[in-house]
Amino acid sequence: MVECPSCGRRQEPRLICETCATPLGVELDCFAALGLPKKLAIEPGAIERVYHELSRRIHPDRYAQAPVRVRDASLRSTALLTRSYRTLRDPLDRGKYWLELRGEKLSDDNKQVPPEIAETVFEVQEHLADLREAIRADPARARALGDELETRRAALQTMMNDYQIALGGNFVLWDLGRSNAKDLAAELKLILSNIAYLRTLMRDVDLGLGSLKAA
Amino acid sequence: MSYSDKVLDHYNNPRNVGSFAKDDPSVGTGVVGAPECGDVMKLQLRISDDGVIEDAKFKTFGCGSAIASSSYVTELVKGKKIDEAMAIKNTVIVKELNLPPVKIHCSVLAEDAIKAAITDWKKRKGDTREAAAAEPAKAHKG
Repeated sequence: MVECPSCGRRQEPRLICETCATPLGVELDCFAALGLPKKLAIEPGAIERVYHELSRRIHPDRYAQAPVRVRDASLRSTALLTRSYRTLRDPLDRGKYWLELRGEKLSDDNKQVPPEIAETVFEVQEHLADLREAIRADPARARALGDELETRRAALQTMMNDYQIALGGNFVLWDLGRSNAKDLAAELKLILSNIAYLRTLMRDVDLGLGSLKAA
Repeated sequence: MSYSDKVLDHYNNPRNVGSFAKDDPSVGTGVVGAPECGDVMKLQLRISDDGVIEDAKFKTFGCGSAIASSSYVTELVKGKKIDEAMAIKNTVIVKELNLPPVKIHCSVLAEDAIKAAITDWKKRKGDTREAAAAEPAKAHKG
């Protein structure tokens, strides 16, 4: 139980006082901070809506004239709310956070790069190395390589979309609560890792395409 | 965060970048990744029959510290026996390259890559022996 810094009401930890709506300034998990149920599948736009509404209500400017303990609570709650919003808005970070809540890390027992991902990474990176070389030495070849790279990028984007769909499916299974949590966690780790490798690769592809345009 | 001079040196002039033929029986290949940041590292070791690392090559796609860690490791393992190389700890890499705490996982990745490459080499050696042992048996059957 925690006490409201403004009206003194004792209550379960939450973001704002249930009686007078003053921010309580207590630590909460990211879902509780945003007043969301502990579910992974979140409707797009819902997090933004809740975040903007709550941050208006607890904004430190509203408590500029309040007693110090209320002002401090507002600052702490605002920091917590922003951190929670940033963690949950991106499905990749949300999945990582879910593992953390279970006491696991994405990198635990997870150094093996799935062979099909490794192959894609090496192939595309070779292509990028050729492109960098051609930008220096052979502009015509660089343009041709750039066109091929655009095609490859589209294929990577399709892979990424598939992984995002798989991630959404995994989220739904957690929320239904009928599957074995250990199996779901293993699947979640695999999908999150694939997304992370692919994201890094696509960032490098975009850098390569960017330097071609600049040349 | 700023990189140390040694990281920058390995990053700007990486040693032993490249690859060996994958099907060469004297080559062990280790591919490891850091899912937290999406780095991928491939380390290949050419190992003599009596277990001495004769040559090493790497390809790493990731941050400067990951590239520097793998570059340094290729220099470190050359001439070592495989059990000596298996005993290399990431702390040696951290110390040499003066890696900051947020980049320690890069050195762990390099340590894992050595182990993965040697394990792969041992497995391939074993497979070759098994294949050789299996062949006469096959002939009997036929």
